[in-house]
Amino acid sequence: MTRYILRRLAISFGVLFVGSFLMYVLTINSGDPLEDLRESTANNRDTLIAARIDNMGLDLPWYQRYWQWLTGVGGCFVGRCDLGTDRSGSDVLSLLQQSASATLRLVTIATIAAIIIGIIVGILTAIRQYSGFDYVVTFLTFLFFSLPVFWAAVLLKEYGAIRYNDWIADPHVSVLQAVLIGIALGFVLQGVMGGRMKRRLLTGGVTAVFTISALLYFTSVGWWRSPALGPVLVILVALAFAVGITALVAGLGNKRVLYSTLTTVGIGSVLYFVLGGALDEPNWWLLLGLFASAIVVGLVVGYFMGGYSRGQAMGLSAVTAAFMAFLTFADRLVYAWGSFLQLKPRPISTIGASTPNFPGDFWETTLDWGAQLLLPSILLTLISVATYSRYTRSSMLETMNQDYVRTARSKGLSERTVITKHAFRNAMIPITTIVALDFAALIGGAVITENVFGWKGMGAMFKTGLTQVDPNPVMAFFLVTGTAAVIMNLVADLAYASLDPRIRR
Amino acid sequence: MKIGTMSKGVALFAAATIALAACTSDAGTEDENSTSPTADATATASGTKDDTVFVSVGEDEWDGYNDLTPATYSTYNSVINERVRQTFVYFDENSAIQINEEFGNVELISEDPMVVEYTINEDAVWSDGEPIKYEDVLLTWAAQKFTDGEDADGNPVALFDHVGGLDYGERVLEGPQGEAGGKSFTVEYENPFPDYMLTTVVDFPAHIAAEQAGVSLEDLVTAIQGGDVEALRPVAEFWNTGWLSPSAGELPDPAIALSSGPYTYGSWEAGQSLTLVPNENYWGTPPATANLVFRFASADTHVQALQNGDLNVIEPQATIDTLDQLAAIGDAVTVGTFDTLIWEHLDFNFGEGGSLADSLELREAFALCVPRQLIVDNLIAPVNPEAQIMNAREVFPFEADYDTIVSAAYDGRYDTVDIEAAAAKIEEAGVDTPVQVRIGYNTPNPRRTDVAALIKDSCDQAGFEIVDSGSSEFFSADLPSGNFDVAMYAWSGSGQIASGQNIYASDGAQNYTAYANDTVDAAWDTLTATLDTEAQQEQTIIIEKELWDSLFGIPLFAHPGVAAWDSTIQNVAPTASQSAIVWNAEKWVR
Repeated sequence: MTRYILRRLAISFGVLFVGSFLMYVLTINSGDPLEDLRESTANNRDTLIAARIDNMGLDLPWYQRYWQWLTGVGGCFVGRCDLGTDRSGSDVLSLLQQSASATLRLVTIATIAAIIIGIIVGILTAIRQYSGFDYVVTFLTFLFFSLPVFWAAVLLKEYGAIRYNDWIADPHVSVLQAVLIGIALGFVLQGVMGGRMKRRLLTGGVTAVFTISALLYFTSVGWWRSPALGPVLVILVALAFAVGITALVAGLGNKRVLYSTLTTVGIGSVLYFVLGGALDEPNWWLLLGLFASAIVVGLVVGYFMGGYSRGQAMGLSAVTAAFMAFLTFADRLVYAWGSFLQLKPRPISTIGASTPNFPGDFWETTLDWGAQLLLPSILLTLISVATYSRYTRSSMLETMNQDYVRTARSKGLSERTVITKHAFRNAMIPITTIVALDFAALIGGAVITENVFGWKGMGAMFKTGLTQVDPNPVMAFFLVTGTAAVIMNLVADLAYASLDPRIRR
Repeated sequence: MKIGTMSKGVALFAAATIALAACTSDAGTEDENSTSPTADATATASGTKDDTVFVSVGEDEWDGYNDLTPATYSTYNSVINERVRQTFVYFDENSAIQINEEFGNVELISEDPMVVEYTINEDAVWSDGEPIKYEDVLLTWAAQKFTDGEDADGNPVALFDHVGGLDYGERVLEGPQGEAGGKSFTVEYENPFPDYMLTTVVDFPAHIAAEQAGVSLEDLVTAIQGGDVEALRPVAEFWNTGWLSPSAGELPDPAIALSSGPYTYGSWEAGQSLTLVPNENYWGTPPATANLVFRFASADTHVQALQNGDLNVIEPQATIDTLDQLAAIGDAVTVGTFDTLIWEHLDFNFGEGGSLADSLELREAFALCVPRQLIVDNLIAPVNPEAQIMNAREVFPFEADYDTIVSAAYDGRYDTVDIEAAAAKIEEAGVDTPVQVRIGYNTPNPRRTDVAALIKDSCDQAGFEIVDSGSSEFFSADLPSGNFDVAMYAWSGSGQIASGQNIYASDGAQNYTAYANDTVDAAWDTLTATLDTEAQQEQTIIIEKELWDSLFGIPLFAHPGVAAWDSTIQNVAPTASQSAIVWNAEKWVR
């Protein structure tokens, strides 16, 4: 195994080297780095030109410039990274550190969201193959997949930001709107749930009635501007989650696991009230610590209550605890929305990673941060969701038609066990590869998204570098995306090997 | 089917939510009574409204307090710094130079020798309370005066890393004359210098430079006056590096980055925004709005950001799409179109191999067939409906003396296309048709490609064969080597009177087309030697007329610019000058 990893690394290194060489040569030949100065009539033009030639080493032959860059990067192996300077003399390494944090924040969130949504949608469409729901999702995924990003971004800004902000200033849902939204949601949900006509009608009807009354009720009490979940709702949702996840993974017949997850919710509910004060003005470290301890509590509960299925109980209780912690966090955030709106009357911005000089407390600042992150994340997620859901669907369908799945069914196993235990795991193997590779591709794909939302990420660095014919920022971008691609490729191979025992030697 | 359990779960969840949706946060009730802090701004005692205006002039990051080193010298940087550090002059909305009376006064007191007297406002102080005085002026001069050793080629190396080189030091040999601590001083130019108003005579606080370099202010003055390079070296060291901001997001120490204007630096978020706040010690009119936030956003995001209130004042890309989008927003925003100081022109190659170089008739024929009005109508008028053909090189259509100069220098003979006259001129020249003309420009540039196509449509009828030889190597290869017959590119004007000498004089450094004309040379020499504006205008007319008659080239149009702002903000006035739309930002108010 070690030999295999080393060999892969050596090959990747060679690929990166050749790639960097090509990239460098292409970049410096893509235009005239002095163009703007040549058109200038300023009297200090010659000084400026001389300074730029000096900064960029334009008086050196191309191979020498590349060699300079390469030796600078080579320094990284001995802890002295030097990615050179951009044309105005700023250190590219420090530029990279700043821009990489913005980009990774965006890409990580988008990737996680896309994986979760994509896989769930993929499985649902596979289970309901050739249903109306399946066709609609297929249509939508192809639509999203072929969306031009810049155009979708403009639409998203128009409806997600500008129109929404106009609406939230005086939120009102008319009866007609509520009825239409309710019917639409009911229609979608009955498609997902499937079953006989009676059941479909029931699902759709209940959903529609619920949605319509909720929408109207929210409007009448002013919930849109000052929403809250409250302890009762948090606890009920957490209970529903505990029951749901147990039913899905272990089956409700497994009482040990069910009681374990329910106990976790119980402990979480107590903590919800006990820790209330500590959450008034927290910081990220405290929250992270609380989150970690929640998981530990879940594991402990599972350990003592799991009995014969201790492993499953520990896992599910930990997941339930994490969900409960997240729900408590969300409860606080939702509660802060009202005061956030007073600080920022138009909550969703079209540009920037944060509102300049935002004065709010922890929760309001987090909301601001999230509101800024929302639109670009949605955009990146939409595109990846399309890929993930398609791959999951086809992979899932392929596994579902395998002989061993038929055997499992004929043994009399429940549909849940067949899908989650037998089909799903094996269907995940090819998805792993896609997810790993897609992460690297997303960093590259984020160039346009960052640009249209005014984020100063690596995309902006790449773009300015290219328009200014300034190789060092472009190469820094290449280094990060190239390395990410190579590493993720390796990770995918390793994950593949660990998921599929047939591949291991 | 266990999935049935799930739908039961959903139903349970639904029912529970209906029962409990009564929960709303209590913030909502306050909401009705208390008004938001930004929406209802209160005026403070000083006359500054506690409000925020968001503006963007582009996506480029602010670079640092010292914007006079070659590395930090950029319009994006100086646009912000000009709101913090004032000087004796500013550009108004017509790009004309005006004396900044709050800062002081400038007066030309003698023409021969040329002496300019400056008086700093008695109350003028840096933001740390130290008066702005003669020492600051002296340091500004010293930064462009002294050299320290020579480089490998034997050229002197400047002691200070100043973007202006040694220009000021060479024009003013003895430096500004005045008393230490004094508020008035004189500057004596070695030769007459028509652009003296553009000389920056004060930039940074000298007492900070002295303190940071570990010398006393008196010693600094003595060292400058005595030309003691050894003593100045630590000061130059600080000047070159101490006022820079190498890591984005960390504002310079307010104790050393002093303000002499209505605003000072408030906060800086790397890659996002820089906020200016009022300078407490400003002696003049306080800014009308307290917070001026420059957001670093690319121009194509500006329109929607303006609509959403993320930006309040924008200068987006001047395209027809932008204008349509802005118009669609309605009355909430005001749109201003204007001519920028960037202007497009066609220059004939007079060097070896230029196919039109030796024949005035051929150049006239070419000028007669270039459809200038059509070019403006098709490519520029959609953005700026008031756009017109530009008929001069040294003045812009929006400048006051444009009509005077153009009417005296040019009779309008090339305003309309005359194919027959062009064909006759070619015949007169007695050359074989078609005459090949290579139009060189830098690619990619769709607008210039369109211009070349329009010229081809028209001129091919007259007997030319226009070749579109646009190339991405135009500036680096074709233009210097003379591999073109007609060059198409833009000059960006800088408001200087004498900068054209570089382009049109026979030995000018930017005379890329090998044009040589004794009349023009002589007129430039006369122009640069006089300080009388009427005499300057006379010489400009002579130059323009000769450039038309001998057909140096054909000016086409000034590039259009677009600005837009939230209609509730008053006193916004777009300008073509480098100070950009924020030139009067301290007057903006809701």
